[in-house]
Amino acid sequence: MMQIIPSNLNIDFVGKIKLCATVSAFLVIASWILSFTRMQYGVDFTGGAEIQVKFAKAVEVAKIRKTLESAGVAGGSVISIGEASENEYLVRVPGTEDTLNKIEAAVEQSMASSFKDDGVQIRKVDIVGPKAGAQLRLSGFLALAWSLIAIMVYVGLRFDFKYAPGAIIALIHDVSIVCGAYALFGIEFNLQTIAAILTVIGYSVNDTVIVYDRIRENAQKNIGETVTQHINKATNETLSRTVLTVATTLFSSIAMLIFGGPAIFNFFFATTIGILVGTYSSIYIASPTIMLLDEFYASRDKKNQKDEGHKVAVPAK
Amino acid sequence: MKPSWWYRFLFFIFLTVVSVMAVVPTLFNFDENSKFPIKSKMSLGLDLQGGLYMIMGIDFNKVYKDEVISYARKIEYSLNDIGVKSKLGDVDVTTPDDPAHSVVLESAADLDKAKARIRDYFPSILRLTKEEGTKLTYGLSKVIKDQIQSQSVTKSIEVIRNRIDEFGVTEPEIVSQGKDRIVVALPGVKDIERAKDLIGKTAKLEFRIVNDQVAPTQISAWLEKAKTAGVVFKKGDRWSQHVSKINEFLKSDLPAGYEIAFERKVNKATNETTLEVPMLVEDQAKLTGDELADARVQIDQQRQEPYVSLEFKSLGSKLFEEITGANVGKRLAVILDGNVYTAPNIQQKIGGGRAQITLGQGNFNQLMQQASDIALVLRAGALPVQLDFQEQRTVGPSLGSDSISAARLGGMIGTIAVFLFALFYYRFSGAIAILTLLCNVLFILAGLVGLGATLTLPGIAGIALTVGMAIDGNIIIYERIREEIRRGISNYKAVEAGFGHAFWTIVDANITTALAGLCLLNFGTGPVRGFAVTLLLGIVATVYTCYFLSGLLFELYMQKTEGQDLSI
Repeated sequence: MMQIIPSNLNIDFVGKIKLCATVSAFLVIASWILSFTRMQYGVDFTGGAEIQVKFAKAVEVAKIRKTLESAGVAGGSVISIGEASENEYLVRVPGTEDTLNKIEAAVEQSMASSFKDDGVQIRKVDIVGPKAGAQLRLSGFLALAWSLIAIMVYVGLRFDFKYAPGAIIALIHDVSIVCGAYALFGIEFNLQTIAAILTVIGYSVNDTVIVYDRIRENAQKNIGETVTQHINKATNETLSRTVLTVATTLFSSIAMLIFGGPAIFNFFFATTIGILVGTYSSIYIASPTIMLLDEFYASRDKKNQKDEGHKVAVPAK
Repeated sequence: MKPSWWYRFLFFIFLTVVSVMAVVPTLFNFDENSKFPIKSKMSLGLDLQGGLYMIMGIDFNKVYKDEVISYARKIEYSLNDIGVKSKLGDVDVTTPDDPAHSVVLESAADLDKAKARIRDYFPSILRLTKEEGTKLTYGLSKVIKDQIQSQSVTKSIEVIRNRIDEFGVTEPEIVSQGKDRIVVALPGVKDIERAKDLIGKTAKLEFRIVNDQVAPTQISAWLEKAKTAGVVFKKGDRWSQHVSKINEFLKSDLPAGYEIAFERKVNKATNETTLEVPMLVEDQAKLTGDELADARVQIDQQRQEPYVSLEFKSLGSKLFEEITGANVGKRLAVILDGNVYTAPNIQQKIGGGRAQITLGQGNFNQLMQQASDIALVLRAGALPVQLDFQEQRTVGPSLGSDSISAARLGGMIGTIAVFLFALFYYRFSGAIAILTLLCNVLFILAGLVGLGATLTLPGIAGIALTVGMAIDGNIIIYERIREEIRRGISNYKAVEAGFGHAFWTIVDANITTALAGLCLLNFGTGPVRGFAVTLLLGIVATVYTCYFLSGLLFELYMQKTEGQDLSI
């Protein structure tokens, strides 16, 4: 039997809560600051036109910029995507519903004329009016919000409402850090990113639920042990599963990130980071939160009823 | 084996056979004439095969304004029927979403009669918003506005579909989104510019009398005068704006009540103007496209000549009879968006609401083309709704095929890595896991075909990721079995306990992922929805393959080895 994680492991995960909470809080706040200050939103959310253009030969970015200027476009941006040898660029120009079509046509036309010897090819054009951009922003936000609410309710119903906040805190933690990574690396945040973040949410809560499941099982089996013991035991018991699943999922995700092509890079950037962060948060954030809540309730009960002892959460099956 | 095992086994075989049948036409790219019983193939999303995706918004304020003007005209006619003389006042758009139009009566004595007539004639359509002496101002009722909204959407969809169908795009998707938006997806469309043109075109159809008393030379002289004064058409301008500039400039020269319009044709390939014939037409339309019920191409059997037949709605028939009666011998211009498409001669007064546009002699195919173009314009024009673009995505075909091959490579590498890992770590049980994973992917693909869903790039991402995530189910079970074995219980019992404990874990884990997927399905658009569908299918397939299918296989395995051997 091959094993990566020894079966008799007994790591005190819960005991690291202070350190983890500090590190996570720092990361989350840093991510928020990054997200709010330097996030590169795609045209899906800002509105504008995004033109993906590919050249048969190497061209200078400066010449593309110049072409944009000669087309009368102000405030456009040019970035290279994929391998440098692919000579593929994203040209982004701002505009409104009325002007975008015209601007985009002008860009296409002047590109075609000034690069006609370089095998220029317009591969993709996304034009999103500000109205539609606002609509997409709203639906992206709603999708995230509703999924968090739905998961919270589900976890609350299936386990105990003491369990739900941990799952949600972990998810907010994951989403924040993934967003922060986007801002840090200057990767465009677009609709695909929303889809990827929701996948990360699904994955991370999956991880959390598996540990929760074991906590509940242990709590029912080993009455008399403390919540901390239940959590540590459950986390240790499921650790090999956690590590193995992270490995397989990362195989898929990283393979797609490296080989899957530029069109899908964005998606797998989020999932790769999300899988790592999600696993960490399930172990070090979600479960320990149950203990904190349990302590909070216990001390409140003590104050209110002078009830002695550390009550153990034994949720209804 | 227990009978229940055989039932479950048969169910698995049945599922597999059905899925293979569903997937085979796509995998081997069967054409429609193949003998294979299943014809439907998985359709590729826009991002994979190229095409055009747009979201059009409807400007209801503009629609209300047009409606209120059209009703004002109807008021005038209906008052005239009972002998009340009136003339049209003007539109009031101070509240843009509730425009009103006034009608001025000639005599104050008719006031009560007129009000009663309008109340009876347009019940729950119009409401009196203001009354100043003989000037009555009417706005639209809430009921009719709601009706106009829903009608505008359905009519626009119909018109866009009509135009697209008539230009032959395969599998277009034209649906409404929300109250005021229309989504148009044209996968695989080659000539994107032309398609954009067709869809974006505002269909405003008018019939106006041509003034042929002014000599063409005079019109040319006027145009020359405008040109020398600097009113010239520049590339990139909108033609209709240019025309209104000309008319603005020549206002004092033109006979009152007339303006210049052009019969203009542009070659789509070269963008060159092939025809530009100016003519003098009335500046107000006597009749608009919304009074038109239908227009179609028909062929005169005797003379073998195509013609366009028109059919008007009730008020339209009456108006058309009046117009043709008063203008026999003159030409009637059919104008779409300010552009004259044709200007046939009025040969006689035409009653009964049916008319024909004949095209004279010529090459049959050319005439046929001409006739169908006119009919298309007429039909499209029966709906004066302005659509403005909100979102527009075009993908060239090369990008899609590049994306597919890259994603396929990435997916293969990831999948092989996962498979190798499973074999290495879990030995024979790993092989079972691989089999269940392969079935998982097969079922997802079959599900996509069955649902008629489209495979998008994020969808491929979903499948690739599912392979890595679905094995989680197997891992949960296997790790549990190992745990139980370490406790020293028999292989049989360990397998039983492993599956027993894992069931709710797998279900809980997948339901939470499904919740995220459902939110995405609800709020996502286009390719992102494709991803959500794949993700959800993947979840169903995962629960079946990881739990039920591996359970089935493990029962067989334990039976064969009689519980003595367990390679895990």
